[in-house]
Parts: sequence; structure tokens; C-alpha cells
Amino acid sequence: MKLNYLFPNKYKKIGWLILIPSAIIGLITLILEFEPNYLDFNVPAIFIDEFFGDKHFIGIVNNNVLNEILGTLIILSSLLVAFSKEKSEDEYISKIRLESLVWAVYLNYAILLISFLFIFDLSFLWVMIFNMFTILLFFIIRFNWQISKLKKSAHYEE
Amino acid sequence: MKNSIKVERAKKNITQAELAKLAKVSRQTINAMELGKYVPSTVLSLRLAQIFEVEISEIFTLEDSDWV
Repeated sequence: MKLNYLFPNKYKKIGWLILIPSAIIGLITLILEFEPNYLDFNVPAIFIDEFFGDKHFIGIVNNNVLNEILGTLIILSSLLVAFSKEKSEDEYISKIRLESLVWAVYLNYAILLISFLFIFDLSFLWVMIFNMFTILLFFIIRFNWQISKLKKSAHYEE
Repeated sequence: MKNSIKVERAKKNITQAELAKLAKVSRQTINAMELGKYVPSTVLSLRLAQIFEVEISEIFTLEDSDWV
């Protein structure tokens, strides 16, 4: 059976090689609020809502692009890790993939709902930042855990 | 659903790994099917029937629980 929405197997390794360092750097810079001046740029924005200014569509804002760079790297590399084919991708693996995806969506929204109801104001911004990545993260953890369990169980019988 | 993949495999005298290669799936999938943990697709079932040179109904049997 052909699955056209998955990347070739080799992209999984590339994904991990980008994901791990950018996730670590991302977390550190987020906690330390590290924003080096040389990454301040005037960038195009779709919607602008300044603190003491007016709101308007389409314009230019001055922004530190470090978090955009890291966020983009993390999202793209997570997609590669999550949706690259296994070495022996077959219909059983596809079933595990689907189950893990449903599980990840449930877990993600359960956590989001609880956070939404009980975390307020600026603290909720943290929830939203992490929520950008958690759905893929939960999927990656669950899927790889199931696959490793499967590989172990198949050692018996022969 | 019950299946006799293990029996058919013994008749042919091939290992799970060899069957996996013939059926173009992973060995884990063969193992999961033999343990009744995974019900294969129609395509894979037909492949297995062709490999074992038997009718598909000789490998797979419905159980009462399949009607619930």
C-alpha cells in the first residue's frame, strides 16, 4: 500500500539532527530571554497591534528574529521526525502511526483545555508557546515508544 | 479473527523473517498477525494466500466476536 504523505526514511535522521540542538537552544533562549541585538530586523507583518499605538493590517515591525528562526527549525524538523517512513514501513506500522496520532491529539487538547481553564493572562502565553510544538512532540514520543515495544515483542516467537 | 499463518509457515518450513520478505512486510507484522494482535488488510491476506498456495479462507476464520 502506498502512503504518499510520508517522507523517505533518511529524513528521519536529518530531522533528529536539527530538532535536538534547536530544541535545546530554543528552550535556553526562551528561559533566559536571550535576544541578541544583531538579530533585530525590520520584518513584514500581517497584523500589527502596538502597545500604545493603533491596530492595522500589513506593515513593517522591528523584531528580534531568533525565536522565529528556532521555532521554524523546531517545527520543520519535528515534522521530518514524525512523518518520515520507518525502515520497514508497512500497514501495521501505519495503524500504529494513526493510533499514536489520535492519542497525541487527545492528550494535547486535554492539556490545552485544562491550561485554558486554569491558567490566565500572560502565563497563558507560555502555554501557547509550548502548545505550538507539543502535539508533534507527543506523537513522536508515543509512536517511537510503540515501535520500540513492537520490536522487543517480536524477539520472542520464531 | 483466527488465522493459521503459523501452521502454513511450518508446512512451508519458512521463518517469520523469510515470510516477511516474501509478503513485503516487516517481521513484526508477521509476528503480530500470528499472535492475533493484528488483522491484515485484504491485499496482505491475498498475498499470504498466494505465497502459501491456498485459498484465503483456509488461512483466516471468522470468530463470533467478529460479529459484535
